[in-house]
Amino acid sequence: MLDAYIGVLVLWPLVAGLLCLVLRSPGARKALVLLTSAALAVCAVGLASQTPFTANPNFLASEGTLKVAEALAIVFPAYFLLRGLMEKHALVIIFSCLQLALAIWGMMNMNEPQTVQNAVVCDGLSVTLALVVAIIGSLIAIFAIPYMQHHEDHLKLAKSKQPAFFLVLLAFLGFMNGMALSNDLRVFEACFEATTLCSFLLIGHDNTPVARQSAFRALWMNALGGVFLHSGVLLVQKQFGVVDIHAVVNPALWTGASMLPVALIVAAGCVKAAQMPFQKWLLGAMVAPTPVSALLHSSTMVKAGVFLCLRFSPVLTNTTIGAILALSGAFTFFAGSAMSLGQSNAKKVLAYSTIANLGLIIVCAGIGTPVAVAAGIVLLAVHAATKGLLFLCVGDMEQTIGSRDLEDLRGMVGKSPVTALAACAGALGMVLPPMGMLVGKWATIEAAKSNPVVMALILLGSALAVVCWVRFAGTLMSGKPLPTPEKAHHSSPLTNMPLMTMLACAIGLGMAAPWIDALMLPNADAASVFTTGWGLMPPLFIVCLLAWMVGMKVLGRQTAVPQASPYMGGLPSAEPGTFVGALGKNWALTEGNEYATEIFGESGWTKFAGTLAGLLLLAMVGGAFI
Amino acid sequence: MNLTTFYLAVAGLILAPLVGGLVSGVDRVVTARLQSRLGPPLLQPFYDVGKLMSKIIAPASHWQGMFVRWALVASLAADVVLFAGGDVLMCFFIQAASASFVAMGAFSGSSPYSKLGAQRELFQMLCYEPIFLVSVLCMAKAAGGFDANTIMNAGAQPLLYKMPFIIPGLVFVLLVKMRKSPFDLSACHHGHQELVRGVFTDFAGRDFALLEVAHWADVVVILWICSFLWATGPLQMVVVALVALFVIILIDNVSARLTWRHMVKVAAPLTFVLAFANLMWLYLE
Repeated sequence: MLDAYIGVLVLWPLVAGLLCLVLRSPGARKALVLLTSAALAVCAVGLASQTPFTANPNFLASEGTLKVAEALAIVFPAYFLLRGLMEKHALVIIFSCLQLALAIWGMMNMNEPQTVQNAVVCDGLSVTLALVVAIIGSLIAIFAIPYMQHHEDHLKLAKSKQPAFFLVLLAFLGFMNGMALSNDLRVFEACFEATTLCSFLLIGHDNTPVARQSAFRALWMNALGGVFLHSGVLLVQKQFGVVDIHAVVNPALWTGASMLPVALIVAAGCVKAAQMPFQKWLLGAMVAPTPVSALLHSSTMVKAGVFLCLRFSPVLTNTTIGAILALSGAFTFFAGSAMSLGQSNAKKVLAYSTIANLGLIIVCAGIGTPVAVAAGIVLLAVHAATKGLLFLCVGDMEQTIGSRDLEDLRGMVGKSPVTALAACAGALGMVLPPMGMLVGKWATIEAAKSNPVVMALILLGSALAVVCWVRFAGTLMSGKPLPTPEKAHHSSPLTNMPLMTMLACAIGLGMAAPWIDALMLPNADAASVFTTGWGLMPPLFIVCLLAWMVGMKVLGRQTAVPQASPYMGGLPSAEPGTFVGALGKNWALTEGNEYATEIFGESGWTKFAGTLAGLLLLAMVGGAFI
Repeated sequence: MNLTTFYLAVAGLILAPLVGGLVSGVDRVVTARLQSRLGPPLLQPFYDVGKLMSKIIAPASHWQGMFVRWALVASLAADVVLFAGGDVLMCFFIQAASASFVAMGAFSGSSPYSKLGAQRELFQMLCYEPIFLVSVLCMAKAAGGFDANTIMNAGAQPLLYKMPFIIPGLVFVLLVKMRKSPFDLSACHHGHQELVRGVFTDFAGRDFALLEVAHWADVVVILWICSFLWATGPLQMVVVALVALFVIILIDNVSARLTWRHMVKVAAPLTFVLAFANLMWLYLE
């Protein structure tokens, strides 16, 4: 049964995607996406019920699969090189050549490593990623059905590009699952590269100059990440002759050995997780249609990076590179939060916040203790649901009003209440207790208690994030000085269903955080979870529930009564929407948020933070030589 | 959770708003005396809230009542966590939720003054949160744990000796949190100024009364955490809180409002760096 589950999770999305490409009709596509989503969700839950386990499904363990994986290590870079040459993109050419050289050198000179005992080893971390991909990723794929239809209507394309789009989208989910479950570094690497390819294709989907530019930027950065990963893997093979991931992450293996391979592999994770100074590829991903950015930011791609770091965290505990990694993650959290505060473009707010929160997970990986790693896994899951929700909401509102600027989204609660309120819930869920994001952040701070700089950076970032998200929610809920006639917004059930399910996931996961945390801990620690601060959460939920009920009652009462006219500080003679100000004139009222760009401006921070984060990353790799 | 903790929690729920109201009363009397006025009776804040509770005024937005109640619940929950000897960081995060709900209520209102106040409220949070939390980290490091009980039982020597540089930070936080000059940026006490009532402009009647109670609860949390600095006995803690209160009232009466830019660019970074230096010092010791 397990083999079947794994087969569906890893292979079926690719098959369904190919069917989408062959069948081409919208109806078939819709059916296939819905079917795939349901199948993925069921199989992921099936896996979760059996965790932890090991398995050896034939399609992942056979000689043939390993040959394919090795061949892909050459095929992918070759394709990247080809695209780089076609576009004459120097960086892509350089890094894909390096990847190719490494792959070929590895094939020629490397001895056959020890056979991997179990092709699949599923623990809490793997199953969390698989669940996130299967559920959050699937919801985004469903959301994409009406969205892409609308998107193409808007672009007036002669020939639909949707079949290819859904092929890549669905295959992406399969590769992510493969990455989460496989225990062979070579298979892992093939999936890792496959996600690079998928994101490159998805970002460039619209094929506008901006989209192409962003796609190639993502490609060169991730090809560089691929170089890091492959050299790390080759060094591991050379040092130990082992490619079994769970054997490699055993700290006993590394006593007295050079940590360089680990530093390189973790650096690859940082590139994929869009950590500064590599944040630009993720920002560029905004130009792609909303489902793509939602997928890249929440459940796939970037989560591959933090997954890799968390996977190697046992080796990082109490090492120099672990400490520097934690520091660089904390710095990214701080800088990313500061940059998101200075943005009025709603998608950029989301993007910088993603970068920041991934930094937080990287901190957990760098600390590497079981308590920290469990907090990291909680953050991974809750962030995926919450950020996925926010992206879908912003995308939906963008299609409604044709703008993604926060100032234009002012008072959206009047125009499309469901989406706007869902977005508010997501925004507040990012920062307020007792939701998982805040509690995870708090657990990270206390796990980092031996490192004051990391703690202080997280505190700063956390304060910045509160301002950013409360302002975001407040702007959406902003009351109008004058009620405008409301246009009813009709959206497809295939838009609302994923939105609402995602909302339920975000809130449910946020509230389930203490229990997830307990599940992720080794047995010795699990019992103590509820005697520490996590134990505060269950009573808090009850308090929240009561507050919710009281709030709803008051809301009902206040909705029924007429509202006060806005206070403008003017005279009664003022016309509606204006106030009597200087010169006794009627002045029209305008509103706007303060973004404090003189302090949190993007360009200044990009230079400063990019340089500092780059130095930290260099120091991490350099730290391996000490 | 044992029974003592439970009693303490209930005590926190009931006592915190009462003590906070008294603090507000003392504040008004002392302020009046500093200005050579007689001032209102000590219990005036309670009379005010009682009167506000009896008023029914049309809300500026139907969301406000909900946010006000959420803010009140969060503030009281923070009190309860602290009284029960819980995690001080989490207590403060819960209180930050209360402040966020106040800002949300102000955002959902219709007056531009209210929204201006909400923006400033958020920038205030940005400034005081890290400073206050770094101060808490200092206390936690010196005491060896993050929960209130551990910090209060830290030892015979007052924590203050080990962390003199967090004092400017704590004064700054108290000024902001109690909405006192020079940092009464988001809501001033005097409705006739350019801010009107800032973040409170759109709240009225019962909603406003409940916000006032929430504010009392907040003040108790902050003053109490400040009094950890000299936690050698209950009396000493009360004295520390009263001294802090007097300092704040004094500063309020001798200073004029600064701009929010000054707060974000000068006051907050300066006091943060001092507090952080103190933290590093504790770790390097």
